[in-house]
Amino acid sequence: MIDPAFIQGIIKVLLVCVIITAAYIISTRNLLSLVSMYSLQSITLVCLALALYTLESAPVLLGIAVVTFLSKALIIPYFIATIQEKIRIKRDIEFHFLSPTSSLVLSMALMLVVYMALTRILSETQVRENLFFFGAVIGISLMLMGMMVMLSRKRAITKVLGFLSMENGVLLFGMFVTELPFIIEFLIIIDLIILVLLTTILTVGIDSTLEDYHNRLHRFHLLQGPEERP
Amino acid sequence: MILLAYILVALAVLVVIGLCTTHRQMNYSCISHAFLYTVLTVYVLLFRQVPVASFLIGSQYFFMDHFGLFEVLIASVIFTCAAVYAGGYVESLLKSGELEKGSLKVFYASWTMLLLVIVLAFFCDNLALFWICAELTTILSAMLVAILSARENIDAAIKYIFIASASMLFSFVGLIFLFETSRSVLGSGTLNWTELMQHAPAFPPGMLVAAFALVFIGFAAKSGIFPFHTWLPDAHAKAPSAVSALLSAVLLNVGIYGILRVYAIVHRTPAAVTIAPVLALFGFFTVAIAAFSMLPQKNLKKLIAFSSVENMGIILIGIAVSTPLAIFWVLFHIMAHSLTKASLFFSAGILHRQYRSRLSTEAVDEIRDVFRFQPLAAWGIIIGGLAITGIPLFPIFFSKLFILRELGMVSLPALFILLSLLFVAAAALGYFVITAFSEITAPGTPPDIEPYVTPLTMKIPLIFLIGLIIFLGIVFTQGEISFLNRIVQELMF
Repeated sequence: MIDPAFIQGIIKVLLVCVIITAAYIISTRNLLSLVSMYSLQSITLVCLALALYTLESAPVLLGIAVVTFLSKALIIPYFIATIQEKIRIKRDIEFHFLSPTSSLVLSMALMLVVYMALTRILSETQVRENLFFFGAVIGISLMLMGMMVMLSRKRAITKVLGFLSMENGVLLFGMFVTELPFIIEFLIIIDLIILVLLTTILTVGIDSTLEDYHNRLHRFHLLQGPEERP
Repeated sequence: MILLAYILVALAVLVVIGLCTTHRQMNYSCISHAFLYTVLTVYVLLFRQVPVASFLIGSQYFFMDHFGLFEVLIASVIFTCAAVYAGGYVESLLKSGELEKGSLKVFYASWTMLLLVIVLAFFCDNLALFWICAELTTILSAMLVAILSARENIDAAIKYIFIASASMLFSFVGLIFLFETSRSVLGSGTLNWTELMQHAPAFPPGMLVAAFALVFIGFAAKSGIFPFHTWLPDAHAKAPSAVSALLSAVLLNVGIYGILRVYAIVHRTPAAVTIAPVLALFGFFTVAIAAFSMLPQKNLKKLIAFSSVENMGIILIGIAVSTPLAIFWVLFHIMAHSLTKASLFFSAGILHRQYRSRLSTEAVDEIRDVFRFQPLAAWGIIIGGLAITGIPLFPIFFSKLFILRELGMVSLPALFILLSLLFVAAAALGYFVITAFSEITAPGTPPDIEPYVTPLTMKIPLIFLIGLIIFLGIVFTQGEISFLNRIVQELMF
């Protein structure tokens, strides 16, 4: 059996990794590395789920790990990368309200606020170990950082990534705070995949003119009427 | 078994739509889908013991109580009318080339799935499952908004998805809080609404306040409550009018339904004292923002959309008052608003076909000689407008009156503020109608607009809805009253 203290150490390291990926997503301008960073973040979550599994041995965590790996580390990043290639946008330089530096400072402040708020709220439930509280704080912070990406970026496709990392935050929070029934977790993932597929398809339309967009949709065979079939 | 019937009907309709080749066939299958749902719901209400207990229902995931059936009934009636209306409306979209023939199948398939998901959402006992269904309604309805694939439609749809889904994530965190709260009290966690209601008095109020606040963010975004309402006017104005009617009359109800359900849990604990004033505050801001946005509005569909925001604010204030009488009239208001708003969007759709140039949905309406070209739509707007402002003998008059009365019992200044805001909104609507409808070209000059021949399928649902509104305003049956009272009892207000 592996020493629990060692596992807890690993979990802490992984949580810090999550924060680093989130900071990178907030500040980078290169779209391709944004996607790979997102899939790295998801893989970190998978590792976290596995590490928690060795501590708690709840089978739900194993399920979460598998589903997350398949959907968020493979399918969604692959899909977004394909779309990105098609629309040939490499960089997202425009920032709306916040420059990368100020958003990093802001996210640090956010983490502090989340920490204080959660200390008050969670004190009423059974006091859990420090580690779980730490995980919950990181989860909510990741979610808020994802929201900042959605607010501060201009391109819709970057916003999609912001939304996805928000969702990662929710998953992290759920993993550390409580155990939801697996069917619920599974349905949420399905729901997300549909959401991402739709938004990315629509995103293609946003940066192009109407005719162009239609041509693209036909090329992807996403929009096929009976009369267009050869 | 009843729930399976709902699901099977939808699946059958989906298959039929897949096989259909013409627009007419697809449209007919959608009409029959919604109509079958109406019949099913009426059957359950009249001949079954509610809450229904049978296979699948009464499990921890689904249930059918009066509240759910009430919302489903509204949804299926509106969907039936909208499907009939879509027959003529989509036909004219096809003719003008705004909708491609290839997108028809996607349109009707999303339509069918949307109805199914909405019905499932209203029958969910498990709040997490309800969350998922609500999320799916966002996706499917956004698809219906984006179906015209004009740039501005896609913009509106994306804005809608982003705002609604990002806020819904907060809701989910709230649900996790709720789950954890129940786990700390009950030992094993649950998100089952019936169980939560049973054990609610034992929950610690602090956790509940946090959980409700987070859940509220998401459902408020779904129902267009300030400050999350920004997607609503865009999406409502740019969607095809048949879809706008659904968005306003059915989808906003999904959000309000969620708020009411979760608030019912909170209401049983001391936490309600903290939350009710905040809800009322959000309600007032919503009404205020909507009323003042309506004033300078020159676009008819946007005006109607803002009026929806206003009504959601009123409903929220009613929920915050949370006396049994207030909740009774909140329910009545939900129904009256849905029917009235659908009729308004139907009329607006006819005017839209008549006056709007093809690709400028952003432009100001150029309504002229309305009584000569579209007398029915004009009267539809006038009657609907009077109904939505709450002129006596229309159903909204009663619900507004009693919600205001209940509010007055709590605080008189609040009553006066709300009353003056409602007056502003009514004035905005009246001003628009009077200025737009009194534009007449001088007699003798040849008309430069082609009159749009409104197909019968667009007229019938409009006339039906207006008739229904007038009927509901005049006739109060005993059954209706006891039905609404049962809902109030079930929600334990």
